[in-house]
Amino acid sequence: MAWISRLRALFGREKLAKDLEEELEFHLSMHQDANIERGMPAAEARREARLRFGRPSLWQERMGEIDLMMLPETVLQDLRYGARMLYRNAAFTIAAVLTLALGIGINVVAFTTYKAFFDRSLDARDSGKMVDIALVLHSGNTGSLFSYPDYEAYRDRLRSFSGLIAGTDELLALSDAGGSVSQRSSAGGSLAGKLGLLPSSGSNKEFAATKIVSENYFSVLGIALLRGRTFGDASELAASPAVLISENYWQRRFAGDPALLGQTIRLNGVAFTVVGITPRGFVGTGITVPDFWIPLRSEPLLHPDSHLLSDRENLCCRLFASLAPGVSIDQAQAEMTLFAGQLSTLHDPHSDWGKPATALVWPGSPFGLPLNQLSGEVKYAVLLIMLAVGMVLVIACANIASLQLARATSRQNELSMRLSLGASRRRLIRQLLTESALLGLLAGVVALLFSWALMKVLATVAAEDFFPAQYGTLIFHVNPDLEIFAYVFAISLAAGILFGLVPALESSGSAISSGLKANAGTSPARRRRLHNVFIAAQVAVALALMIAASLLIRSSIHALKADRGYDKQVVNLDLTFPEGSKYNADRKNAMVRELRTRLAAVPGVVAITHANAPVYGYRGAAVSLNGEVPSAQNKLAILSYTFVQANYFQTLGIPLLFGRNFQPQAGPPEPSVILSQSAAQQLWPGENPIGRSLRLGTEGLFHRKSELLPDGPVYQVIGVAGDTRGATFDGSDSKLVYVQLPEDRLQDYSILVRTQSDPNQVIGAIRPLISSLDPDLEVDSSTFEEMLRLAATVFLPRFAAAIASPVGLVGLLLASMGIYGTVSYIVVLRTREVGIRMALGAQKRAILGLMLQQCMRPVLAGLLAGMFLAVGASYLLRGALHGLSTVDGISFAGVSLLFLAIALFAAYVPSRRAMRVEPTVALRYE
Amino acid sequence: MAKTKNDNLQGTLALLVLQSLDRGPMHGWGITLHIQRISDEVLRVEEGSLYPALHRMEQERWIASEWRLTENNRRARFYRLTALGRKQLNAEREHWKKITSAVALVLGVRPAEV
Repeated sequence: MAWISRLRALFGREKLAKDLEEELEFHLSMHQDANIERGMPAAEARREARLRFGRPSLWQERMGEIDLMMLPETVLQDLRYGARMLYRNAAFTIAAVLTLALGIGINVVAFTTYKAFFDRSLDARDSGKMVDIALVLHSGNTGSLFSYPDYEAYRDRLRSFSGLIAGTDELLALSDAGGSVSQRSSAGGSLAGKLGLLPSSGSNKEFAATKIVSENYFSVLGIALLRGRTFGDASELAASPAVLISENYWQRRFAGDPALLGQTIRLNGVAFTVVGITPRGFVGTGITVPDFWIPLRSEPLLHPDSHLLSDRENLCCRLFASLAPGVSIDQAQAEMTLFAGQLSTLHDPHSDWGKPATALVWPGSPFGLPLNQLSGEVKYAVLLIMLAVGMVLVIACANIASLQLARATSRQNELSMRLSLGASRRRLIRQLLTESALLGLLAGVVALLFSWALMKVLATVAAEDFFPAQYGTLIFHVNPDLEIFAYVFAISLAAGILFGLVPALESSGSAISSGLKANAGTSPARRRRLHNVFIAAQVAVALALMIAASLLIRSSIHALKADRGYDKQVVNLDLTFPEGSKYNADRKNAMVRELRTRLAAVPGVVAITHANAPVYGYRGAAVSLNGEVPSAQNKLAILSYTFVQANYFQTLGIPLLFGRNFQPQAGPPEPSVILSQSAAQQLWPGENPIGRSLRLGTEGLFHRKSELLPDGPVYQVIGVAGDTRGATFDGSDSKLVYVQLPEDRLQDYSILVRTQSDPNQVIGAIRPLISSLDPDLEVDSSTFEEMLRLAATVFLPRFAAAIASPVGLVGLLLASMGIYGTVSYIVVLRTREVGIRMALGAQKRAILGLMLQQCMRPVLAGLLAGMFLAVGASYLLRGALHGLSTVDGISFAGVSLLFLAIALFAAYVPSRRAMRVEPTVALRYE
Repeated sequence: MAKTKNDNLQGTLALLVLQSLDRGPMHGWGITLHIQRISDEVLRVEEGSLYPALHRMEQERWIASEWRLTENNRRARFYRLTALGRKQLNAEREHWKKITSAVALVLGVRPAEV
């Protein structure tokens, strides 16, 4: 048993020495006896035996040396030796540790963030018992929102749950709170605002993110308040409605003022008394800490017009439950499916909710769908980020591998010397393994610190700077996930060790004979090939990342710049009237007209019209041409429709191609429509549409209850306007029917303002104007371009580019480090050759050329491979790339050239060292 | 200088020791005597090489050792071949044959049977 002898060697050193001594003594006396037998005198025999024996101390020492090579001694000794080697090659060690730490760190952060966001549980005392609830509806859609009456029914009837809670989110206007919004909490000051991820224009009101929850919310989640008490019973409600504030908002907005408890604030104009403070960072069933919590019972106070508590069709709330003891998810699902069948009979039989459905219960998560059903866009963004950081890990591993290889070459002499001293291959491998593991461990520690720091920064940014206070506080867990760390660490460690072992594996029997011949002058061809492969791989991966980032950036710029058929500087004003009895439809209409008159007088305003902005698309209607009432069943086509005024086209800069415009209105709207060019082409291909007639029908298509609908009259086509496009790129929202907007419905539509000069100046003037008319009016103002910026088609590539470009940059940095390091080694290895060449009269420039040529070959190969990778990447990204061909010349050529220049520089610096080689010094290596 | 000598000896010495132990357990002195006698006094093993070699071979687990009494009732360390050592012996024999026949070919002599 090998380990026994090793243990003996480890602990029984003294016994071993004594054994040896006894063995030698035996040998000596046997020799002496043999001499005497041959007739030598006793003294002479002893002397001769000793002489032949040599100096025992000398070969005892050698045996000790063998022990050193053969026995494990102690792991400690291996470590000590490894540490010494690492210390002696400080440059290598630092480069390797940094590379690994960067690669590991970025991956840990990315995957931890992913986990913290998407794989998080509910914020409950016993989160393992909490579940999410949804219904898989008859249509196959997942409905995760329930009406309040349904919630009450489930809460009171289901036995599988020991508690059922409901919650919904809303932005409420905050007033009477004292103080004012701090600079930081406004949209423009937040990071998300700066990145253009939030509407930059904002509003004239201070808002607060409010979570409206069932009264049992905190008790079911098992959370105790930091201060104060939760909502009281119903009798208290009527007298003075209660509100809870989150500790985060209490600190951010009120600087932790203890006097706030018991004070009255106004939300949407309704007085609430602050009765308690929820613990810091408590997110409940969401991912952000809201500013306020109010009970669902109080909802009618905020919205007198809605009947949330009694309306079974008003899908307001998400439901979460804690499983009763001993009940499995399947059992809960079965019981709920049964009960959902009964409830469906109470719903509108035409709606999806009026049909049988299946309950879906899954482990508690803030997301409204089980993780595997997240929307395609989210999945796509997540996949892209994961792919990118994974690639950085690949680069880091390739970098470590090539560093290890380079070092192996320079260690050839050391290794073959130790082999010839009697060390076994196994022993060398173990030593190198220890060294690589030590290196990895070091990198792991640095990576852990690095990712911890990065997470800390991210969490702080997320909590305080990313969203303005009105959106609540984004919370995610700060500590790097150790499980993830272990995985990533293992991968990079494996890469490091694998290639750390190459030298040991390569120095097989042949190394003894060839190794000692000072062959450091030329590097073995096989190893150099491996090197080249690693450099090429790094360059390829980093290039693909950079090209992908550049494609995304260019695509989002292109998406914003592309012509959409209308003027993007037009300002969109959305008015929100206070709820309750203050405004009825007539008063709203009068207010809008008054506002329009005042706006027209603002300097810089050219034209004003009432319509919905063409950015986010319109609702659809079925079209029939034969005079029948169209429905989803007998339709000819489904086209988008929108209500506009006569001056709409002129205000937005949309050309009228044929026919005439609507008559500026005097009485009721005329029964005519204007078609967009592509709509006309679809309905009457190749014919003149003017004078034809059509009918529109919206039955079975989505619309709100009191919305203005185009159903009814037979419309005559009077004109054809130019095509417009909203946020989509495929032109699917270009087929449009324009219907004239009746004067008495102006208040339901946005006000669109065309300005002469900078629209922001006019926006600035509009705000005080509106406040002067009625301070309770809320207004949101932004240009079409700002609205486009937030559309998913523009937003997603921008977001993805914001992630991909730093990751690509890290990749580029790592790859340049790799090139630099490898070229340095090649230069050192070829010093002798360079010396000979120079002795033979080679010019310095020729030497430089030679070195660069050699180094650039793998770089060029990598660039080529990277372009192929990038073609693949851009094929995958094609959904997000708009208006660019898959092989976008500027991105490909530009980034490749940039890369080539950086690689050249990385190779040039160490190559210059080769030029300074003194021939005499180089040749003295022999 | 000593190093080259040792290097050349190392492989050969291992072969000789293994071959000697193939006949049965022996102590270090016995191995010396055996090799000397079998080779008609041509090969003399230096103690300074033998014991380190034995030590190393024991670590490689080609041989194992135990303390026993000799015929003269003296305590001595006896080495014996392990299964691994027998394998090694066969391998080294093959290797040796190949080398010597190759050298013989070069020298133009018929190789003696080993």
